[in-house]
Amino acid sequence: MFTFENFLFLLQGVPNTLAISFLSFALGFALGIPTALVKQFSPFGLGHVADAYISVMRGIPVLVIMLLFHFGMAGIIPVFKSAFLSATFALGLRSGAFQSQIFRGAINSVGRQQMMAATSLGMNRWQAFRHVILPQAFIVALPGLGSEIALLIKDSSYAFVLGVLELTKYSDIVRKATRSFLYPYLIAAILYIMITFPVANYLDRLGSRLKTKYGLR
Amino acid sequence: MGEVILACEGLKKRYGDLWVLKGIDFEIERGQTKVIIGPSGSGKSTFLRLMGLLEPPTEGKIYFEGKDVYGSGLDLNMLRAKIGFVFQEPSLFRHLTALGNVKLGPKVVLKMKDEEAERKAMDALKTVKLEEWAHHYPAQLSGGQQQRVGIARALAMDPDIILFDEPTASLDIELTWEVIDVMKDLARRGVTMLVVTHELGFAKEVADEILFMDDGRIIESGPPEELLKNPKTPRAREFLRRLIGGV
Repeated sequence: MFTFENFLFLLQGVPNTLAISFLSFALGFALGIPTALVKQFSPFGLGHVADAYISVMRGIPVLVIMLLFHFGMAGIIPVFKSAFLSATFALGLRSGAFQSQIFRGAINSVGRQQMMAATSLGMNRWQAFRHVILPQAFIVALPGLGSEIALLIKDSSYAFVLGVLELTKYSDIVRKATRSFLYPYLIAAILYIMITFPVANYLDRLGSRLKTKYGLR
Repeated sequence: MGEVILACEGLKKRYGDLWVLKGIDFEIERGQTKVIIGPSGSGKSTFLRLMGLLEPPTEGKIYFEGKDVYGSGLDLNMLRAKIGFVFQEPSLFRHLTALGNVKLGPKVVLKMKDEEAERKAMDALKTVKLEEWAHHYPAQLSGGQQQRVGIARALAMDPDIILFDEPTASLDIELTWEVIDVMKDLARRGVTMLVVTHELGFAKEVADEILFMDDGRIIESGPPEELLKNPKTPRAREFLRRLIGGV
């Protein structure tokens, strides 16, 4: 029998799901912008490194990266002894590659004319990026970032395999304890939607609103 | 003779196999206004971008206040800060208000304090008669207002010269007038200006010299009354006949 107490118990998985998703998003953001810039300018020929990073992250299932970190590399890198951190880093690294692509598209959409105008004022490339290109690119990137957060929230469920006590793991525990096969997963599914929908939808709307306000394409 | 602000010698520019500029000698003194006219594709905009140090020449030299720009390891950004540029296409920073646009250069490039940059920017906006629109975003301004903010953005840097690349080419006629009026006002105040435009009224009233460009060269130049009334070259004569006659 699936009870209200089971539901409350299941809810305890939500904080870890949120923590993994948002920490990995933050890590991805911190990696994504520099990667996009390196790919754009290729300083010291580093563009190929950025390309390689993106290809590798696009080519490996994130579950395999998690397993590799937690079970394969914990001996070398102590951080990976933690299942939680292994999952977060795996998702964050992949998200960095994905976010770099989102930012690159956004940066290109801002256009050369804006760069030229900044240059004509005497700004160097970095100043132009910092004050002119990135603020606009960020607005253009908002819907893409919304989808990326939704993807991370959903894929944080893979952490279940490492034994992290997040939403999917909790629903599995409830399934085993109650022998109720439908409700634990159904409730988890609804909770995932309740988390992903507002976040992605908010960023989508914010993006369109700001685009209209600033006349961005 | 006044001080020469900007000059070039044997200036050439090539894109791929195409020579867009085929050897230009030019100079402009402090306080002068010079106007460039010529058919599209004659290299006017390219010439202006090169003089604004936004693109390097393929051959030839550019001098800013007597110094060889590309030949003596000068800091290009320092020089660009002293050369204002007003573009044909809308090029205001879209995420900033009119005031934000105008004060960004003084703040970021000239390292002014915020209040100082803001005062400077408001002064420049007053000069183009847009102080009441200071807190509007570019998307809320008309094309003419946007171009005037663009002029204010250049002015706020206290440039030694301002280059205008067909600033009214994409504007309706009434909007063209408001921009031209601001430019005439600047010329009368003694701002050094190099202007690509087909507004011959502007050229007649304030230009010290008109340069006619065709096929990557300046093929004729002279004071407005002379060049507009009695063009010597057949190309200029033909071009002006069509421009004025509208045929």
